[in-house]
Amino acid sequence: MMHSRLILVAFLVASVPLTACRREQPPPPPPPAEETTSEPAPQEDRDDDEARRAAEERARAVAEARGALEQRVHFDYDESTIRPDTERILLEKVEILQASPDVRLRIEGHCDERGSVEYNLALGNRRAEAVRQFLVNYGIDESRLETVSYGQERPLVAESNESAWAQNRRAEFIVTAGGDQINPPSE
Amino acid sequence: MRLLRVERTAALPFMALLAVLILLPSGPVEAQDVERFPGVSLGLTYEARYRPPIAILPFTGRFGGQEVASRVESIISRDLRYSNRFVVVDSLPDGIVGSEVDWGLWDDMGVDWVLTGRVEGSGQGYVLVLELHDVVFREVAEEGRFTIPEAASDRFRMASHIASDGVVQWVFDEPGMAASRILFSRIGEDGNQDLWAIDSDGENLRRVTNHRTVSLSPEWSPDGRRVVYTAYKTGLPRIYEMDLDTGREKKVPAVRSGDYITPSYHPDGDRIAFSIVGGGQSGIYLYDLERECCLENLIEGRWEDISPSFSPDGSRITFNSNRLGLGVPQIYTMSANGGEPRLLSPFIYGSPSYFTSPDWSGVGDRIAFHGRAERGQPYQILVAEVGAGNNRVVQLTFDGRNEDPSWAPDGRHLVVAGERSWGRGLFVVDAVTGNVRQLLTGVRAQLPSWSPSLAPKVEAELRASGS
Repeated sequence: MMHSRLILVAFLVASVPLTACRREQPPPPPPPAEETTSEPAPQEDRDDDEARRAAEERARAVAEARGALEQRVHFDYDESTIRPDTERILLEKVEILQASPDVRLRIEGHCDERGSVEYNLALGNRRAEAVRQFLVNYGIDESRLETVSYGQERPLVAESNESAWAQNRRAEFIVTAGGDQINPPSE
Repeated sequence: MRLLRVERTAALPFMALLAVLILLPSGPVEAQDVERFPGVSLGLTYEARYRPPIAILPFTGRFGGQEVASRVESIISRDLRYSNRFVVVDSLPDGIVGSEVDWGLWDDMGVDWVLTGRVEGSGQGYVLVLELHDVVFREVAEEGRFTIPEAASDRFRMASHIASDGVVQWVFDEPGMAASRILFSRIGEDGNQDLWAIDSDGENLRRVTNHRTVSLSPEWSPDGRRVVYTAYKTGLPRIYEMDLDTGREKKVPAVRSGDYITPSYHPDGDRIAFSIVGGGQSGIYLYDLERECCLENLIEGRWEDISPSFSPDGSRITFNSNRLGLGVPQIYTMSANGGEPRLLSPFIYGSPSYFTSPDWSGVGDRIAFHGRAERGQPYQILVAEVGAGNNRVVQLTFDGRNEDPSWAPDGRHLVVAGERSWGRGLFVVDAVTGNVRQLLTGVRAQLPSWSPSLAPKVEAELRASGS
C-alpha cells in the first residue's frame, strides 16, 4: 500500500516539467520486486533484508517529500494568481505539511527583471502571499508559513529572454524548521 | 542678478562659434518616433533659459599654491560645464588671455562673466580666492575665499566642488549640485548588492556597506550624514540607518511580519516613512529614528503602497500604489497626515500604463517618476508639476531605458539608472536643457539617490566674505 503510494509520488515529482531546474537529483526508480523471484532465504536474513529495505524506502520517501516540499512554482507575467499547474504542486505540499507538523516553511517570492525594482518587491510579496494563502486555505496553520520577497534581485537565470523571465517569476520554498521531521504524506 | 544681456554684434569669428553654441538647442525639443504617453507633453520641464558664457582664466598660485591651482581650476571648470547653466569658455590660447582681465576683449567675444582664481598656501592646506568679473559692468561682482585642504586629503575634491557651487550661487542665486554625492545599490559578481557612493562629477567611487547580502533603496538624510536603506541581513528585508561618519547602524524594529522596504526621510531628518508589505495588508508607516519610537500608520489597505517621498515642507507625500487593482502601479500624492490619495500619474483607464518610483524635488513643486505607456516599452522619466493650479506632466527622457530618478540639490538635475545601446549605468539628466551625462558605466548600479548639498557652510562663507 505504502509502496504504490510512493511510486505515485515519485511519478508526480518526476512528471512535473520544471524538475529540470531543481537542484536535487531525480529520485531513483523504485527497487525491483525481487522477493518473488529470489530463493527463499533463512528467516533471520529475510528479516534483516526487509528491515534494511524498509529503512531505505523510508529514506527515499522522506527525500522525495523534501523535494516535493521545496519544489518551486511559477507565475505569469505581472501576475500573482496561482496557475492550474501550480495548484497540483501546492496540494502535494499540503499533504506533506499535514503529515509533518513540525515543519515550517519560508515562501520566497521572486520576479523577472522587467518591472521596477521597488515595485517588484511588492509583486514578489504578493506572489509569496498568494501561495501562503492557498496553503492556509487547505488547513495549514499560518504560523508555520513565513513570506519574503526578493523582487527581481535573486534571478534563477541571469539572462534577458522569455525563457529566463518565465523561470525567474517564481516562489521558492525554504524549510526553516523541522527539516529532520519531514514525513511523506500519510495514508 | 543680471541674467538677460543685450545682444551684441560679432567682432571675432570665435564669437560666431560661441553664438552657435549658445543658440543651439541642447535637448530633444521635438522628438520623433519615440514612445509617447497619452496626455503627456514632450520635452523639457522649463522654458529654455539663456546660458551666459563664462570665461575661466588659468588659476594662479602663490605661497606654494601653484602646484594645486590647475587641479582646482580643472575641477571647477568641469563642474560649471556639468551645471548646464553656462557656456564655459576655457583652455584659451595664451595669446588671448593676459594676466589682467581685458574687458574689451571679453566684451567683443560675447562673454558675460570672467572667473579668476588664486590659490594661496596657508599653514594647513590652501585658500582659494575666487573673483567673478562682470564684463558688462566692468567690475568685480563677487569675491570669495574657500578653504582647500592638501591635495592628498579626502576632502580636496569636495572643497573644490563647494567653490563651484559658490559661483553658481553668485550668478544665479540658486543652489548648485557640484558639492554632492550619489548613493546607489551595486550588483556584485556574486549577485549580492552593497551600497556605493560617487561624487556628482563621477569621481571618487567608494564602497559604503559591506554586508554581502541584498541592500536596496538608499536615501540620504537631509543633513547628508546618514543613509536609510533596506537590507536582507537577517534573511528578511528590514530597514537600517547608517551614520556615514561612524558606520554605526540603527534598525527599525519589526512590529509585525512583512517586508520592510522603501524608506525615506521626513525633512526634519528625525523621522522616516517606509512600507511594510505582507500578509495581504500593507501600508506606509512613520517611525522616529532619532528617538527610536513612535511608529505610526499613515495609510493601509489590501494593496501595496510603497516608495514614499516627502514634499520639501513635509506636509505631503507622494507614493506608489497598485490600489486600482489592475496590475499597473500608479503615482499618488496625499497629505502627510493621511487622508485621501490623489492620482498623479497620467493613467488612462483600461490602458496598461505603468508608473513607479516617485521622488519629490527638494526644491520646488516637482515630482519625477518613471513609467511606460505600453507593455514591453522601456521605462522613461516623467516629471509632474504639483504647484498650485498646475498639473502638467512632461516626458523628460526618450533614449534607451531610464529608471528610478532622484533629484539633485539644485532641483533641476536628476540621476537615473539606465541603459543605452552601448551600456548600462547611472546617468545625469538636466530637466532644463535635456542634456544627458553619463555618470558611471561598467558597473551594475540601481536605485540611485542624490544627496543634499554637502556644503552647508557655503552661504556663511559667502556672507563672511562680504558679498
